Formats: sequence, C-alpha cells, structure tokens
Amino acid sequence: MRAIIALIFVFVFSSCAFAQTTEERLQELEKTMKKQEQSIQELKALQKTVKKQEQTIEEQRKLIEQLTAKTKLAPPPGAPATARAPQTAVAEVQQQVEELKEQVSSVADAQRQTIPSKFNPAIGLVGETIFSYRSQGSEFTGSDRPGGFDVFQRSVELNIAASVDPFAKGYAVINASADPVTGEAAAVVEEAAIQTTSLPCNLELKAGRFFGEFGRLGYIHDHELPFVNRPLVLDQYIGGESMTDGAQLNWLLPIEHYVSLTAGVGDNFGASPNLVAINSNGLTNGEYRPINGLVYFGRGSTSFDLTPDLSLEPGISGLINPHALDRNGEIALPNGTPETLPQYPGSTLTERERSLEGVDFTLSWKPLRSNQFESLIWGTEVLRSGNNYDVLGAGPVFSRYVNSYGMYSYLTYKWSREWSAGFLFEGVENAEDNLNHTFAYSPYITWATSHWNQLRLQYTHTAPNAESGLRPDDAVYLQWAWIIGSHAHGWQQR
Amino acid sequence: MKSNLIRILSIAAIAAVLLSGGPSPAYAAKIRVVTTLTDLADFSREVGGDLVEVNSLATGVEDTHGVPMKPSFVPIMNRADLLVLVGFDCEHAFLPALLEASKNPRIQIGKPGYVDASVGILPKDVPKSTDHYQGDVHPYGNPHYILDPVLAKTAVGNIYNALAELAPQHQAEFKRNRDAYLAKLDAKIAEWKKQAAPLKGVKFVSYHEHWPYFADRFGMVYFGTIELKPGIDPTPRHIEELISSMKAEHVSIVLREPQFPEKVPSQIAEQTGATLVTLPIMPGGIPNTETYIKMEDAIIHGLLAAEQARENAHAMK
Ligand SMILES: [Zn+2]
Repeated sequence: MRAIIALIFVFVFSSCAFAQTTEERLQELEKTMKKQEQSIQELKALQKTVKKQEQTIEEQRKLIEQLTAKTKLAPPPGAPATARAPQTAVAEVQQQVEELKEQVSSVADAQRQTIPSKFNPAIGLVGETIFSYRSQGSEFTGSDRPGGFDVFQRSVELNIAASVDPFAKGYAVINASADPVTGEAAAVVEEAAIQTTSLPCNLELKAGRFFGEFGRLGYIHDHELPFVNRPLVLDQYIGGESMTDGAQLNWLLPIEHYVSLTAGVGDNFGASPNLVAINSNGLTNGEYRPINGLVYFGRGSTSFDLTPDLSLEPGISGLINPHALDRNGEIALPNGTPETLPQYPGSTLTERERSLEGVDFTLSWKPLRSNQFESLIWGTEVLRSGNNYDVLGAGPVFSRYVNSYGMYSYLTYKWSREWSAGFLFEGVENAEDNLNHTFAYSPYITWATSHWNQLRLQYTHTAPNAESGLRPDDAVYLQWAWIIGSHAHGWQQR
Repeated sequence: MKSNLIRILSIAAIAAVLLSGGPSPAYAAKIRVVTTLTDLADFSREVGGDLVEVNSLATGVEDTHGVPMKPSFVPIMNRADLLVLVGFDCEHAFLPALLEASKNPRIQIGKPGYVDASVGILPKDVPKSTDHYQGDVHPYGNPHYILDPVLAKTAVGNIYNALAELAPQHQAEFKRNRDAYLAKLDAKIAEWKKQAAPLKGVKFVSYHEHWPYFADRFGMVYFGTIELKPGIDPTPRHIEELISSMKAEHVSIVLREPQFPEKVPSQIAEQTGATLVTLPIMPGGIPNTETYIKMEDAIIHGLLAAEQARENAHAMK
C-alpha cells in the first residue's frame, strides 16, 4: 500500500512538478522585469499624452466658448435650417470634450492609484461564541462541555493569507480558544501551509499543517458549518476537523467534466476525539482512538448539473492509518465484550490498522436568478470505520475487528437573504463498540445580517442507546459568529 | 477491501497522467474566452468574431455579485486562454475561489490572460475606508460602469487589447471588428441620448446601486437605493425614510433589477406614487435582451415608458 502511494507521488512529481526548472523560472522573472520596464516607458508616454490631452481640452474649451459666443451673438431669426449646424457642432464638441476629460482623469487616476496593502497579507479575524444549556452533564453526554448553562468562546480565529512568490501562496489559521478542561485560552495553529499556484498538469500541492481533504465537512472550520456542532460521526471517527501535518496533491482531471482527485499523506489526522464514557458494563474503553502516526488519505469528487438550478455533487473518501499502539491497563476489550484485559494476565491489547471510508453527496437547488434569496441544500455523508485489535502475550492470542457505521444528513432551506433553517439527523456507532450507538436530531434556524455576522439557534436531542452507558440529552445552543477584515469565499465552502 | 478504494484511486490517477501526457495544448482552433458576465461575453464575441469561442459564467438572469459557483465552470475556466471580468471586485463572491479551482496559470491575476475590463475607468463612490460598515460588495468603488454605454467602450477596448496581445497574427481582424462595433455603439449612443432627453432630471431609486454611471450619462437623478448598503437588505426604518424622502422630492420611478424580490419595490412604488419598472443589468436579464445594445434599448425604453406612465397618471388627476 505504502509503495503505491509513494509511487504516485514520485511519478507525478517527476513527470510534472519539476518540469518547470529553475532556468525557466529565471527566464520568466527576466520576462517580468522586461515587462515592468516596458510599463514604466508606457507610463512616461502616458504622461505626455495626458499633457497633450489637457492642452487639447483647453483649446477645445476656447473653441466652445467662441462658438457659443457666436451662436448667442447671431440668433437665427426665422432661419432654423442654417442655425442647426453650429448648434450640433457645439454639441459634438461638447461631447468630445466630455469624453476626453473622462479619459484624462482616468489616466491620471490610474497613475495616482497605490495599493496600501500591497505587501501585507490579507488578514481576517473570526469570533464565535456559543451560549448553551444542556440537560445532562458531560459524564452522561460524552461531550467535553458541562451540563447546565454554559458560555463557550469556541473560536478566536486569525486568518492570514498572501502570495509567497509567483508560484505559491501561503496561509495560516491560528485559533485561540479556551481549553474545554482547564478553561485556559491557548493558541493553536490549526493551519499553516503553502500551496502551489502554478504547477503544470492541473496539479496543486499543499504542504504544512492543514485540514486534509477527507469527506464533506471535515475540512470546514467550525464557524462555517451549516449547523452549530460538528457531526458526531466526524467528532468520533476523525476527532473533529481533519487537521494533519503533511502534504496533499490535488489533481483536476483534464477533461470537460469536473472531476477532482486528492491524495495526501500526513502525520496524525484530526484532534483527539471526545472522551467516551463508560459502557453498560461499567468499563471504559478510554478515549476514542485518535488517528496517530502516518496516515494516507484521499478523496474524489465530481458534479452534475441536473438542471440550471439543480446540481448534485457526489464524493468518495478513504483513509488508512497503519499505526500500531499498545494499550495496556484495565480496559474493556473492543466491541463491548464483558471481558477485560486483566482476565488474560500478562497479555497486552495492541491496536493495529485503522481505516475509514466515506461516501457523500450534496444536492443543491440554487435558482440562478434569486439564489441570494432562496436555496435548498441537502447534504449527506456516510462513513465506515474499521478497527483492528490484537491481544498478544502469555494468555490466549486473538484478534478483533470492529466494523462501525456513522452518518449525518441535513436539509437547509433559505427563504430570504438573511434567514435560513434546517434539520440535521445523525446516527453513529461507536468506532470501538458497534453495539453502542447514538442518534441525534437537531432543528436549527440561522439569521445572517450579512456575510460577516450570523446568529444561529439550534435544539439538539441526543439519544444514546443503553449499551453506551450515556443518557438522553436535550440541549439548546445560540451561536454568534462574526468576521472582521478579509475573508475568502472558499471553493470548499460553496 | 479497505485499501481497495485508495488503490483504485491511485491506479486511476496514474493511468490518467499517462494518458494525458501533460497539459493539453491551449491553442486549439479557436481562442477560448471565458467571461464572468454576459455583457462582456457579447463584447468578446463582437471583437473576436469567428476567431473566438466565448463562454459566460452568468447566463444573464443572475445578480452581478451572486453567480452561483458551479463545479461545471471549473473545466471551462481550466481551458480558457482569456478570462474577462468586470473588475473593482464585482465578482469577489465567486471568482477568486473559481480561479483557484481552475488550476489555469494563464488566467490568474497578473497574467496576460486575466483581463480586467475596468482598466482606465475612474470608479465612482470609492469607500473612504475598507471597513465593512459600508457593506462588502463595492470595496473598490461602484463596479457597474458597463451600464453606461460610453464607459462600455472602454471595456470593449480592453478586450481588444487582450485579444491582440494574445494573437497578434489576428490583430487586423480584431481591430476591424472592434472599430465596426464601436461605430455601431457610437451611433446607438447618439440615438439613446436623443431618446433619453425626456429623462433629464427625472429622479429614480433602484434596489441595488447599479445605476450611478448610467444616471450621470443620461442626466437622470439617482435618488437612492432600497438596499441599506450594497449587498445589505433594507431595514424597516430605511424603507420608511426612503418613502418619506421620495414623496418630498417627487421621485417618479422605482427601478427593480429582476434578481431582487418584487415585494418591497412594489410597496414603495405604491406608497410614493412612483412607477415600478423591472429592467435588466446584463444581457439576458429579461426576455429579448440577448445583446448589450438590445439591453440598453430595453432600459431606455423601459424608463421612458415608466416616466410617461407617471405623467399620464398626473394628467388624469
Ligand atoms: Zn453592486
């Protein structure tokens, strides 16, 4: 498997990425410099033209004055036919002068224009506060947020982006939010990556820390989600946002139909998933398994315009984490077996390969004429998680394979520029115990006074089954998200 | 099983790289031009003639700031030799993301294939600061200069320059086409000015701030907009204030651009006694406006009819 991925990278690189040699780049730079010299010359020439045009205007102004004086001096008594000629002439000259004036002022303005932010990156700041009430405490919800009333400053997110050089752009997203446990604010570099802008063969390479392209909503920042919370399945299977340190290569197929393929390799994927509570046997599996170590991931997506207003975007994703990890201690064996590891003295539980696969689709109705005032989006994603475990050591040696499914599906209807509402359904089997599952139902309503300022009210009923050891929970959320400064309307958030 | 997916993806990727053998040649039979809006597409067809194949992202009915980002635009932009846009960040809600997704180095900003049709235009209403207090859709000044046919000529000139630079071997033909079209446009401008004489001094409001250049050209008084700020819907208080000032100043026309809902404009027209008229902001916005000239005809005639209707109503009283 590794060999194949490595092969793709090597192959694609050798054939395309380095096709543009340093020499070519130098040549390009030389060309640019020559062009700049040219434009300086052109600007000088323009200056001359402006002066000339100013002179012409002055002359024409005098001419108009003379002509107007003449027409006023000699009113045409009863001879309209002869009188019309000078009048039309005056009108024509006036129009010419008007147009010339415009040209002069626009040329002058073009020369005057300076861009103060020319060498500064685009900077934006996102603030996001969640006010909430939960009927159950975190020991019964599995959430990292406490029960009762709660105010959570989920994001203070700084976005920075700029071109690195003619061949790449760089960006960073730094989020300072309160730690759910300690309450202390800590800045986390969520993304800091370089992305090529001029690779041949329709390729784009990204490297650094970034949200890896897996699934539909994994790489969307919290405040851009269509509802308040990240779907349970993404929280449990990936650990929230699909943050990874690595590289990913995206390829737009050179055909007339849109097909985008992405393959990436990274160290770690997602954050540490939320704590899982005790199971029905009073035993804890510890935390959900984080995706640590080397990870290969990929995604393919396409799109079909069913009508001018209706489009369908399906996608498939895959992830493999070959990492192995010893997990000693008094923990339950995977898949909810009543046995515990201490029943096999001297044995150790080892996690083997973990894999994730996903299919997703988005059906969107956006009427061409009025899409800013009405639209309907239906998004669905189904994930399958496969977890391998080995019990090794002095006792019996055996393996476990836990196969779990999780999904979410939401429908959002927008009926004015400011208002939209929707419903989110979620269902997820625990990745370590597929008898333990949870359903959740969330109606939500969003009021956006502008693209920069948005309030959302959401109710969520979470219904875990008995196997999970959790209790049903009712929660109400009020989310207020705002943006100042620069903010790109990204391709992935469309 | 679990690695099958990635294995299939890998094989597909390798096969496709092998089959494609690098980037497809950009210069097929025709020069591929993609424009954001339909007016620019019309100009590009006029100047490029048979030598160009023109695709517009907008079909004409969309808002100039709100063309939905469709993945199907990406392959079109990927193969384009020229991208013609309005400029002044008119397209900022959809173009930057599409440009990035297009992976076409020829049409990226700063490259010769990136054709900003506004070069040489002096923008009106440039915000004093880049703060979003002023709304966010006109950050570099009002981008709706093409509705003024004299300024539209500048856009035509910029498209000509780009085509002539890209294909110097066809410069003579482009020049011929451009001159013929500009002559046609000049004749129409003279005609429109004559026709629009009764509109001099006529006050009007519109939904979005589309009309400052047009109003200046034809001597109309652009009284205000129903939107609070460009891209921001009106508050009840703004509507109230607009209605009372429109009454006091005898504003005679409420112009609604077809992509905006009719309810508020028609309420305002009803309460102020102004005439409501729906007029396009780019070719194709309403039926029988497929070309720029036809659209401009429709706008002038629509405004004249609206003004006439109001005068008749007054005469009845
Ligand atoms: Zn606008």
